[in-house]
Amino acid sequence: MLQIEQNNLLIESTLTERIFSNTFKSLDRIVSDFDFTTYHLSSIENKTKILISINLKCWNDLAQYGVTQILSEKYQPFSSVLSTTDAEQGYNYSFILDLESAFDQDQDFKLSLINELSLLKRNSMAAPFCAAFSRYDELFKKYANVNTYSEEVQMELQNEKVIIIKYRGLNESIYLKPSFDRVTIIFSTMFQDETDKIFGKVFLQEFVDARKRSVQTAPQVLYNTEAPLDIANDVKKGEHFVTFVLFPRHLTIGDKRENCISHIQLFRSYFHYHIKCSKAYMHSRMRFRVKEFLKILNRAKPENLDDDGKVIETRKTASGRTFVK
Amino acid sequence: MSMGTPAVVMDNGTGLTKLGFAGNDSPSFVFPTAICTSKRRSTNVASKRGLEDLDFYIGDEAIDAAQGSQYSLNYPIKHGQIEDWDQMERFWESSIFKYLRCEPEDHYFLLTEPPLNPPENRESTAEIMFESFNCAGLYIAVQAVLALAASWTSPKVQDRSLSGTVIDSGDGVTHVIPVAEGYVIGAAIKNIPLAGRDITLFIQQLLRDRGESDTSLQSAEKIKQQFCYVCPDIVQEFSRFDQYPQEKFAQYIVEYTDRNKTNTVDVGYERFLAPEIFFNPEICSSDFLTPLPIVVDQVIQASPIDVRKKLYKNIVLSGGSTMFKDFGKRLQRDLKNIVNERVGASEKLSGTKSTGVEVQVISHKKQRNAVWFGGSLLAQTSEFKSYCYTKKDYDEYGPSIVRNFSLFSVP
Repeated sequence: MLQIEQNNLLIESTLTERIFSNTFKSLDRIVSDFDFTTYHLSSIENKTKILISINLKCWNDLAQYGVTQILSEKYQPFSSVLSTTDAEQGYNYSFILDLESAFDQDQDFKLSLINELSLLKRNSMAAPFCAAFSRYDELFKKYANVNTYSEEVQMELQNEKVIIIKYRGLNESIYLKPSFDRVTIIFSTMFQDETDKIFGKVFLQEFVDARKRSVQTAPQVLYNTEAPLDIANDVKKGEHFVTFVLFPRHLTIGDKRENCISHIQLFRSYFHYHIKCSKAYMHSRMRFRVKEFLKILNRAKPENLDDDGKVIETRKTASGRTFVK
Repeated sequence: MSMGTPAVVMDNGTGLTKLGFAGNDSPSFVFPTAICTSKRRSTNVASKRGLEDLDFYIGDEAIDAAQGSQYSLNYPIKHGQIEDWDQMERFWESSIFKYLRCEPEDHYFLLTEPPLNPPENRESTAEIMFESFNCAGLYIAVQAVLALAASWTSPKVQDRSLSGTVIDSGDGVTHVIPVAEGYVIGAAIKNIPLAGRDITLFIQQLLRDRGESDTSLQSAEKIKQQFCYVCPDIVQEFSRFDQYPQEKFAQYIVEYTDRNKTNTVDVGYERFLAPEIFFNPEICSSDFLTPLPIVVDQVIQASPIDVRKKLYKNIVLSGGSTMFKDFGKRLQRDLKNIVNERVGASEKLSGTKSTGVEVQVISHKKQRNAVWFGGSLLAQTSEFKSYCYTKKDYDEYGPSIVRNFSLFSVP
């Protein structure tokens, strides 16, 4: 598995089981996802309906950029079976899925419904990105025929508001800054572990170098320990910064833009997943090495001697075992 | 950091792995503990050039992928113990990131281990969990203790204690494990080499002897799950089959992927004969001949005398092969007979009256995934985190810290 998948497998399998079984069973399940996201799926009203709730750490930030509107647009096609409701206690947003009417729908409808619901976190997190990208569209139009090198324009662009998403609580955040020809996305990260820092550095260097080697269309990536000037005012010490610069070719409206949102928001999880994978690989190398060394040591063991100092004939295998005569 | 996130409960068995979050009543994922790796990988590890180490599948996907010629299938756990750490590490990697979708740094973990697991294995597990995954906290629990905790859901259990005898029967082997106050009495554990797979093979044998049209292992497996039960007495059951053939004999409709093909298999005496191999092993095996109730009795008799009463009173079933209807009832009756006989004999010899020994077998609804469920139950308590070792503790003391875990206090 190279990429982390976008959708939540457990939600997908739970709902698939419910929607295709045509029976009502009681359900009460907590599901978790990256970045402290929790879902709660529970059956209500005589098990004919399923209440789906989501809790995100950064809901307040998302709410500023119209997450409820984006979600209602996204789930509009399924309004016959899906209705929004007051958020469940302890959660940010809730849907009610009416199983009775969902049973009557055709296969394609059911599949796309399940798929969209398993992407609930992705769709919620997409809100600020959509906001930033549409701001880019505005700026692009505004400055299309203006000399952007003039001082006034530069000042205006510099004062452009930065969108901050504190997606993991207080420590780590995503910063988005739209401009007329690019959107800058900055991740601030912190490492719990010293070893992770080193692995992370090597891994990010690959990212930075990717453009130089083969993938010319990749976004520009920068990595530094000091805060980029755009966001220098609102950062803490000890954080590292990864900056992505998305160019117009990444922001083409349509699938490309959606795809870009999907991938970039999972960057942190992807990054940490690969740090862990490389550690696992290192461990397997180390185990292999140790096994090799042990073989050599076993071969070097002195022969068994009897009381007179004569060698007792024993034949040994490479792993150090002896044959019994 | 890990506040508010549910703990992850992982029960890796020889046959099946159960994954899920604490607080749920059933595991989120149950799939074979299988991993398939790319065959192209050369024997020399240093020659890696690309992403070969990420090219693998686990669980059901692994079994599907192994149908082709590119992958080879492996089972990293043998006889309950982890044999191949490289593969297990990758199995966990995929379990956590692909299936459970959680960042291990944000979650506490509860893992399980078989009784008599060497402490070195615990250390290796801790090394992987803390060093590769940086998990927030870790607790490694003995499966039998979790199975005891799972039995608290049964209305028969009045006092929640961690003393009792656990009969754990999965696919490969059946264990009888005495537990006193949360400690496993290692010296008294006994294994029975009869379990789910042997029952399935026995049914298949009976079907073949009779010349049924479909004698595949899958059909035998389905018949075992759908039709089998434990009878109180074989001879009576045979005559009941002869008296009421309409009610007793059944038909199994074979499921094919091709909808047009239909086939039915008659189901006869194997309905009660198959689970009977626990009580009369001689009908199926020629090298293991001790019935289960006698083994249980031997195990309890081998335990210290002061806990025996508790062990007789709280016999807990766990695992898929104990799911047969009336399995608990039959075991309780047979065991009671053995115990009463012994009590009678000792009364006769000593001339004093015994206060009696209570024998109780507890079966409950969560038996199939009892170990996982017990883990989920204990890991959702607010004290759970105080029993765990954190990443900080590990960094301070090293892997040997996991040799001892404090026991769960009984609420």
